This record gives sequence, structure tokens and C-alpha cells, in this order.
Amino acid sequence: MTGVEAQFKKDYPAYKNTKINVVWVPWTNATSDFNTALTSGKNAPDITEIGNTETPTEAELGGLANITSEVDGWTNKSDVVPGMLANDTSGGDVYAVPWFGGVRGIWYNKSQFAKAGITSTPTTWAELTADAKKLMQKNPGIYGIDAPTNDTDALVSFIWGAGGQVATQQNGKWVGDLTSAASEAGIKYYVDLYKDGLSPAKYVGQTELGNPGATSGGPNEDFALGKLGLYIDGPWASAEFPANAVDKSDWASFPIPSENGPNPAPAFAGGSDLAIWATSKYKTADWDLIQVMDSESNSTTFANLQGFFPPYTSKLTGGDYSSSQLMSGFAKAATSTQISPLNAKNWSIADETDEVLPTLIKSLDQGANFASSVAKANTQIANVLNTGQES
Amino acid sequence: MLGSQKRAGPPPASSPTVTANGQWRSPLPVRFLVGRKTRRLAAPYLLLLPSAALLILLLLWPTIQIGIYSFQNYGIPQVLGTMPTQWVGFANYSQIFSDPEFWSSLKISVVFAVIVVPLTLIVGTLVGLLLNALGRRMAAFVSTTALLAWAMPPVSASVLFVWLFDPDGGVVDWTLARIPSWLGGGAHWAGYNWTTSSAVPAYTIVLLLVVWQAFPFIAVSVLAGLKMIPSELGEAARVDGASPWRSFWSVTFPILKPIFMVLLLLSVIWDFGIFTQAYLVTGELGNRNEYNLGIYAYDKAFTTPPSYGLASAMALILTLVLLVISIWYVRANVKQGATA
Repeated sequence: MTGVEAQFKKDYPAYKNTKINVVWVPWTNATSDFNTALTSGKNAPDITEIGNTETPTEAELGGLANITSEVDGWTNKSDVVPGMLANDTSGGDVYAVPWFGGVRGIWYNKSQFAKAGITSTPTTWAELTADAKKLMQKNPGIYGIDAPTNDTDALVSFIWGAGGQVATQQNGKWVGDLTSAASEAGIKYYVDLYKDGLSPAKYVGQTELGNPGATSGGPNEDFALGKLGLYIDGPWASAEFPANAVDKSDWASFPIPSENGPNPAPAFAGGSDLAIWATSKYKTADWDLIQVMDSESNSTTFANLQGFFPPYTSKLTGGDYSSSQLMSGFAKAATSTQISPLNAKNWSIADETDEVLPTLIKSLDQGANFASSVAKANTQIANVLNTGQES
Repeated sequence: MLGSQKRAGPPPASSPTVTANGQWRSPLPVRFLVGRKTRRLAAPYLLLLPSAALLILLLLWPTIQIGIYSFQNYGIPQVLGTMPTQWVGFANYSQIFSDPEFWSSLKISVVFAVIVVPLTLIVGTLVGLLLNALGRRMAAFVSTTALLAWAMPPVSASVLFVWLFDPDGGVVDWTLARIPSWLGGGAHWAGYNWTTSSAVPAYTIVLLLVVWQAFPFIAVSVLAGLKMIPSELGEAARVDGASPWRSFWSVTFPILKPIFMVLLLLSVIWDFGIFTQAYLVTGELGNRNEYNLGIYAYDKAFTTPPSYGLASAMALILTLVLLVISIWYVRANVKQGATA
């Protein structure tokens, strides 16, 4: 940010006396801080980073400024990955610009693969299960793969990877699709990773970072300490790995496989946007600063620092990523992504308030009836997406 | 003494009047006497006024506000004024009552209070009796160490217990895995998930935590009560050949009953409304099958987008439940004529 501030003052001499106050907020607190700022009218930011699944929700609540005309005149607009900008558009109006993005893939450890005699990364579910088993047999004391219950963004790849959907929009209404044969196959495969003993019981009720609300621990820590063979997360996970991580040079990645291969399952297109707060008094200055922060070189530098990708097509296809041992798998996963319905305006109610999918996976892990549990979750998802309420 | 001397002494020179109850009173204008009488009636209320005003301002007014919100669709757009606030009747209440998670949360809260309240009171009373029997130095040592647990902030204590029960490095799982299976241990305890899998193991931790933190307060309160009991009563019971059990129930308990009633009420209110410890142990908002009423209400109020109307209805339900318990307590007290 220091470099960005210097450049901002150089490129826009009018702001040479402007003070930029950067406040870092823990990711887990961000949404509650937004709500507090909205309701109290105090401590609201001028510019904010915002998770791309939150953007439609906050725009709906009236927290973000409409920046359609600014974005229309933006020189970088044509190079932004189209799907990412579409996510920030609601009813034809643009409320944010993509800052960086990322996809989940599967982290693995090359030396553990070598010990297990695995020579190529899996491209089907059957291979994935078989490799997880081999890893556990040949590397005593490690878990095969992580299938935590509260990791919806990873779970959806398995639903999509069988050709299923969480929900689809028909005539402006959301219709649940969890009960389709393909979606059920994906859910069953994910639950079986736990039931077959490849994912340990301690991940039940956890996210990929351990206990909900925690910012480190769980599968993330186990993988970094060499106690977990296959770890589903994005390249940004490296920021949470503990300091005493082992075998860092052996880490590599591959995309989450689809049911029958050979192409990977669609990955959830996560990422962050930059938005201007609706109540900001300095909207012109805000937009000028955003243009500097989100320039192709600055956004690439910032994205690389955290293990994300810049939102620019020219950078993604430039070859910097496909040649990296760690990033190549994620770069491959980034070629096939999906975001719907995770960007629906009521999605955060479905996933954060009501936790429909985490609750479903947990109850299935604990032996609930498969068909009736999935049917119930299917109704809830559709209801929440349409009305904001479960029933 | 002074009053009785006055009454016994001769009437003072300035021709005083004698009131109906035989007290001397200096001759004062009637108007003043009336004023004094009203003042005497009003005095207790005037003294109560500051605290009453404070309670109305800080407690009653917010409660009324919550009551109003609970019948509205109150959320962020309504706070901002971008959407109108609408009266929705009992919609918030019917939504709560038709939500199976509300009933499972209620069940967890009730079962938890039913188990923890007696347990805390029993442990606290036993420790109080122990403290009373100990010598001065030992009693000071025991009460200090116990009060340290009481003084520990709930957040620190919760984090501590979560660590103790951690599946990876926690001392509890480690120990249980090394205990032979006929004692209930065994290898299956290694990596056992206490906190996030289901309500029973998670609330076992919360139970231990709450009892550990709450019993010192009970113990010290009981001890204070025990110190007031004249030692002759205990001696008399002993001379009559009463067992410690009998003398507790026939001598100690009846005398300390008002104290026990207060402690019971406080414990019910605390344990029924427990939030911090349960929230931290069960993994914040991540495990819906482990919600209690407090976490349930918090989830409704503070996740995006918040529904303050729904959460207000929830808070009011919680308040009413506790109010019923409190009213039962006050009634019991009034009947008994106790002032505690």
C-alpha cells in the first residue's frame, strides 16, 4: 500500500496533501463491521475491499455507491475477466470492480506422492479416492484428504463436477437442484470421503481453517505440518500456514477433479472487489485511488503477494502462472469457474445465517437419511434464495 | 433510650401536645405537620427514584423498543430509511415458533440449565461447608485459588478449555487415549472431536467450564451465611446426637434458605442465558445443531443481512421465560416473608 499511495500522489498531484488511512480488518469481522458502519453511520470506510459473494448483498442493502459511469469510462474495463465484472453488476448498475480473484484446487506434497508411488495427479473421483487411500497407507499417521462440513466453497465443486447444480434460476425464480442425480452424486462423494475414513472426524463442524471463526488451524495446519495428504483450498491458504510448516518446497497443486474426468470440476470463482461506500464524501478521489490500486501492475503485485490472481485476462494467460510448480494447478483450475448461485443476493443468508449446506453435510456425516435430508436442504435453499427465509 | 426518658420525664415548659401514641411533640403549625406526614410517606419513593429512573432509562425503555421492533420487519434498510418500516404482526414470532432450530436451541438451553444449576449449587455448598470447617490459613488458601477461577474472564477460560479438549494437542484426548479401555479410555479417544461434532460433548465442556467458574461465588456466599449461624445451634444439634447430614438439613439449610433462594435464581438466570462460553466452545456460529437460545438470537441479529425484528422477538421470548422464573421466585419469597 505504501507504493500505491506514493504513486497515487504522483499520478494525481491534486491529492498530494491527501492522507490515506488504511485500516486492516480481520476477514471474519468484515461483514459485521459493515453492518455496524451501515446502522450507526460511523466508522464507514470511503473505499472498501469486499468479498465478491458479499458485493450483491451489500449493494442490495444500500451500502455501496453506484459507479456505473466511472467504470464505463475506465481504461482497464475491456481487459477485466467478464464474469468477474458481471458479478458486481446488479440490474445494469455496477457497484464494485474486481481487485483480485482466486480458485480452490487441491494442495499436495510431492514427496508424499512419491512415497505412495503416485506418478500423476488424479483427474477422476475414483482416482482421487484411490490416491488418498494410498497416501494414508504409505505415509503412516497422515489423513488422506480433508472434507470438512463447513467448506461450502469447496463442496460446490463436487456438485458441479458431476454436472449438478445447487440451484438454478428459472423465470426469475430460484429452483433447488440438489436432488438431481448428478448433485446427489457429488454430495454423496463428499460425505463418503469422511465415511470411508479418509477425512478425520475432527473436521466435522470445522472449516478448512479449523473451528468456525478461527483464522488458522484445522486441515490448513495439518497439511502444513505434513499430517494431511490432500488439502482443498486456494493458493491464498499459504498466508494461514503455521510458521513451523514443513516440506514447503514439495508443495504443488492440481484442480479438483470432475466425476469422470478428464477436465477439472468447475471451481468457485472467489475473490475480492473494490467498492466505494455509499456515504463517502470524496467519491471522485475514491475512484481515482481505486484506479491506481487496481491498475494492472498494482493489482498483480498485490494478488501475487497473497496467492491470488489479478482480474485481468492478459495477465492470466501470460504464462507466469502455468510455469510455477505451486500455481500451475490453480491456474488450470481458474480456466473453468462458476459463481452462481453463490453471488445471489440471499446467498449469504443461505450459507452464513442458515448454513444450509454445512448443516446438510454434517447431518449426513452423522448418519441422517440421505434422500430426505437432501430434499429438505433443497427446499430450504430455494426458499432462502427466493424469499430470504427457510420456510 | 432518649425517647423513653423523654416519655418518662416531666412535660417541658413550652406546653407541648401529646400525640395518640403517647409521644411528646413540640407545638408546630398544622400545615407543617401535614407536610411532614406526606414527606414521610413519599420519602422511600424519593429515595428509590434515582435507581428507578436509571432502570427505566437503561432497561425498561430498551425493552419497550425491542417489543416494538419484534412486531416490525426491522433490518438495515429500515435503519437507513431506504425502505419503510412495516408492522408485520406476529410474523416474527410465528417464524421463530415454526423453526425447528428454535426448539432444538430451547431444548439445549433448558437441559443445560437443569443439569448445571443444581450441580453448581451442590459443588458450591460443599466447598462452602469445607471452607467453614477449615482452619483460617487453609480456608484463605482454598478460597483464594477458587476465586481465581471465578475472576478469570469467560473468554480466556473458554479458550483455555477448548485447548484442553483440542483433538490434536489437547491434554484430555491425550490422557483418555492412554487410559485402559476398562476405565473408559482407549485409542478411539485420540483426535476425538469434542467441540464441533454434536451438542452433548460440546456442552459437557461448557458444563465443566461453567461449574468451575461459578462454584466459588456460591461457596463464598454460603460461607458468609454459615459464619452468621450462632455456633450454639450446631453444638446443640451435636449434643442431641444429630449426624452432619441431619444437622445440615435441620439447622443449616433452614437458616440459609434465603441465601440459597437468591443463589438459585441467579444461577438459573446465568446458566439459562449462557452465551460467551457456549459461543466460543461450539465454534462461534458454525454449528447449528449446537445452538442454544443465546447463540440462536445472536445468529438472527448479527449475520448479514441482520433481521433485528426477528432477533427482538427472540430476545423478548428469552426475557419472558426468565421473567416467569423471577416472578415465581418473588412469590415464593413473599409467601415465606423472607427479605433476602
